Amino acid sequence: MKNIIIIGGGTGGTMCANALLKRINPKTRKDWQITVIDKSEYHAFQPDYLHVAFNGMKPDKLFKKERSLLFAKIKFLHDTVTKVDLKSQTVATEISGILPYDYIVIAPGSMPNYDMIPGLRESNLDFHTSPQDAEKIYETLKTSIGGRFVVGVAGVPYKCPPSPNESAFLLHDFLKKRKMLDNSSIIFVTPYPKFYTAPAISEITEKVAKAKNIEIVTSFNLDHVDVQGKKLVSMEGNEIKFDYLFMVPPHKAPDFIKGEEFTDKDGWIKVDKTSLKIEGYENAFAIGDVTNAPTAKSGMTAHLEAEVVTSTIADQINNMSDKEYMFTGRTHCPFEVGDQKAVFVIGTYDRPAISVNPSFENYMLKKIMGKIYWSTLKGSFTDIFKIYFGEDYMKVVKKQ
Amino acid sequence: MVKINVDSKGLSCPGPLTEFVKAYRTASNGDEIELTATDPAAAPDMKSWCEATGNVFEGVKEENNTYIILIKVTAKKF
Repeated sequence: MKNIIIIGGGTGGTMCANALLKRINPKTRKDWQITVIDKSEYHAFQPDYLHVAFNGMKPDKLFKKERSLLFAKIKFLHDTVTKVDLKSQTVATEISGILPYDYIVIAPGSMPNYDMIPGLRESNLDFHTSPQDAEKIYETLKTSIGGRFVVGVAGVPYKCPPSPNESAFLLHDFLKKRKMLDNSSIIFVTPYPKFYTAPAISEITEKVAKAKNIEIVTSFNLDHVDVQGKKLVSMEGNEIKFDYLFMVPPHKAPDFIKGEEFTDKDGWIKVDKTSLKIEGYENAFAIGDVTNAPTAKSGMTAHLEAEVVTSTIADQINNMSDKEYMFTGRTHCPFEVGDQKAVFVIGTYDRPAISVNPSFENYMLKKIMGKIYWSTLKGSFTDIFKIYFGEDYMKVVKKQ
Repeated sequence: MVKINVDSKGLSCPGPLTEFVKAYRTASNGDEIELTATDPAAAPDMKSWCEATGNVFEGVKEENNTYIILIKVTAKKF
């Protein structure tokens, strides 16, 4: 029996496992065992954490058991990976021990790096990392009588690029609904020189933010948080006071790959940005937040990357080697701007994000993506996605 | 004084800025950061960033569609 190991049962890992099972030729499928390893038994739909924090959505709607999201023939190990050795083609875990593989896909995501900014952990309520933490924001807001609400980007890099900006808009919706805007101010803070990093999107969303009296502080390089004084302190000595702090923390790669030869100086896995092969290896891939690919760390990115990797692996196993599959760097990040309107951040490696006007249709599209999310993990709607994304879905090149 | 080289060639917005901001975190006053970028937006973005933070934008050179942007770190208090 040959082994395909997938580390991580998030969007990318789950889609990879299910798609591989479908794509490996039925005649040879019995020779292959696909195994997904994750330290959590549960799979979360993370984009809606924002709505747990600012709309009171119940977190239990956002979880399903990972086992239930995988086809029956796929093995799921609820286990913690401690080391990946690409040279000896093995994965070490706490419970299952050393597992050999023929192909590996590393997709464990990223994690918050609170240690980078002293005082942030003690002061911040975090809608971004877990629904339990997001729920604390809603509980806090329900009893608030207003004040200075500081949101934004605490440090770089971070996953789900529009989410800090979205938090400002959804917080505005909450305060408006509760008639608390007169007693409150929203301050959005970012180390970048623009409200949003992509210029075309920044131009549009900044206008919306200004119309809603959201104060924007750009180029603010957060050094530490003065916990007692309740203020952000920048590396240049500037200060921003807050009554409530809801920032997105900087992110880092998981510890089990720390210092490995296949990671870059910041700890991310070095991949070829189109094939998603780990540099120097033909049978090892990485997708999602954990790579150094210069694209958004987001679920949609992981989805499209999973398509590329599973097509490549399946073709190798099926002895079909005339095609090359390439990730285009396509982003498709929904970005809510409040009042049930949204834009999408749409770009590729070769095309900067285009200008998209806020609309109710885009907001509904985000909602639909949330509704169909669980089915997409098993490959439903693939044909619709292919039509929707067109050439950006995946570049297929015939080998010479 | 230390010269810190940050290579962001091939990265598009916000890649060059992200790489720069990471380097700035560990830099000290007097250090120079040389950001190499192929994204044409990098130089104007860095200029705006320097104006807002009080660091010095020393200039930009273009060679074969690659921008070499020099920033002197002068405004750090922490």
